[in-house]
Amino acid sequence: MSGTVPAVVVFALAGLAPLVVRDAYLLDSLVLILIWGTAAAAWNVAGGYAGQVSLGHSAFFGLGAYAPALLVTRWGLSPWLGLLVGALVATTIGLVIGYLSNRLRGPYFVLATIAFSQVLLIMGSRWRGFTSGSEGIPVPFRPGFWTLGIADKRVWVWLVLVLALGAYLLQRYLDHSRRGYQLVAVREDEDAALSLGVPARWLKVAAICASAAFTATCGGLWAQYIGFVDPFYVFSVDLSVKFALAAIIGGLGTALGPFLGAALITTVETWLRAQFGGLGGGLIGIYLIVYGVALMVMVRWVPQGLVGWIGDRWRRRRMAGAAP
Amino acid sequence: MSLLSVAGVSKHFGGVVANRRISFEVEPGELVGIIGPNGAGKSTLFEIITGFYHPDEGEVRIDGTRLTGLAPDAVCRRGVARTFQKLRPFSGLTVLENVMVGALTRHTDVRHARDRARELVRRVGLEEKAEAHARTLSTGQRKRLELARALATEPRLLLLDEVTGGVDQRTIPELVRLVRELHAGGLTLLVIEHNMRVITAVAQRIVALHLGEVIADGPPDVVARDRRVVEAYLGQAYAL
Repeated sequence: MSGTVPAVVVFALAGLAPLVVRDAYLLDSLVLILIWGTAAAAWNVAGGYAGQVSLGHSAFFGLGAYAPALLVTRWGLSPWLGLLVGALVATTIGLVIGYLSNRLRGPYFVLATIAFSQVLLIMGSRWRGFTSGSEGIPVPFRPGFWTLGIADKRVWVWLVLVLALGAYLLQRYLDHSRRGYQLVAVREDEDAALSLGVPARWLKVAAICASAAFTATCGGLWAQYIGFVDPFYVFSVDLSVKFALAAIIGGLGTALGPFLGAALITTVETWLRAQFGGLGGGLIGIYLIVYGVALMVMVRWVPQGLVGWIGDRWRRRRMAGAAP
Repeated sequence: MSLLSVAGVSKHFGGVVANRRISFEVEPGELVGIIGPNGAGKSTLFEIITGFYHPDEGEVRIDGTRLTGLAPDAVCRRGVARTFQKLRPFSGLTVLENVMVGALTRHTDVRHARDRARELVRRVGLEEKAEAHARTLSTGQRKRLELARALATEPRLLLLDEVTGGVDQRTIPELVRLVRELHAGGLTLLVIEHNMRVITAVAQRIVALHLGEVIADGPPDVVARDRRVVEAYLGQAYAL
């Protein structure tokens, strides 16, 4: 299912929804789904297309969240500038992690990415003089587009949709372009790719940097939308797992999959929190158990993800239909 | 001037000497075989020529250009392609896509690369499998896929590691015919081969390695009768 029709439908629906939907809860869900979907798509560029599986992407998300929050609260600068700074810092960190990816393969790379996000967590929660430490940073609400003080959730939907489309188009580029084929070759077998003249090293670094920049921008918009940056949330392993899981459930290396996965995860998570997270709810962390079980089920029975699975069925049916 | 020149190449792993001052040349259009018992250093030599290993001393040149010190992808772009002894297809990609990856090294346009890949898939006789995933191929088909993929990078020199290794007897003649065709088409080849009958039949020259050193270099019939070669393969008792 590499066709663009389903994607056009999905994004058109998301773009038109604010014209029809007035319910704040639904619009809020849509904004979050698009943010998590974009983050999952960004993760997919590194993890799905390039095969550089990271469980430390919250490092980029957190950096992206802190950058505008700090620029606004410390220096009174525009959060838009903060988004740019966040993306640039994340890209620089991406270079370092990309370099690591050329030294470390498989589980060692995964461990290095986790360590990276945890180092940032410690910095964020302990460096009180700069980051306000574990108290986190409340983002001041200053009405206006240039201050990202937007109360209207419909505008947020469109804003985040632009970023989501950017991430989607990057993946589509990888589906069809020379660099995309080469990147997938690196994922499948790096030595074989090298022997065929594929510049594997810099392609991996480029993929990780692009992934980092998108993830950071998600973090920045998320922080401005929510209005608060908490180091224990934005740098958490849970968050990294969430990006990876959304991409895996939706379909690794497919352009639409991460958005589908994010929609599913966000909905289920919200529902579980509402059901079990109430007062005296001893099951507040139940969504983590569900994450774990979902991951096992997908990897064992549907490794190609939902989009891959639907695509296979559809292809099979079409073939069966074409046969006399 | 020779196309490939290997000059005084040595490589050791810890205390084990894999290659010791290996030198030989390959002229344009030649088909040179490399033989030697297990552990003779043939594969290490391939890894060094293709940039996967860096030699402790010595250097490799293609057409006078130094290859030593370059990364494997840069070596390929300078015109040296290879196949792997332990086959490494991109198993999640189709046969055509596998070959496209090679073609994309020379073509920036994906459509051109696809056309070129289609030609090569046909040339190695895999057109019926073009859209099949590489993981569904038999060993013989995988060998041909690796060949097509390497050819797609438009090499001046092609290194084949064990063309007939691991394939059944009936498939060997087809693969040998393919190698002969390539050679007849003007390609220069350096071939590691265990099967003595195959290599003496196709190679114009043979370089024999033993314990990391070149022990013979000459026409197949001469090398096959060389006293040190026979000793290396069969032990001293058989050398007459």
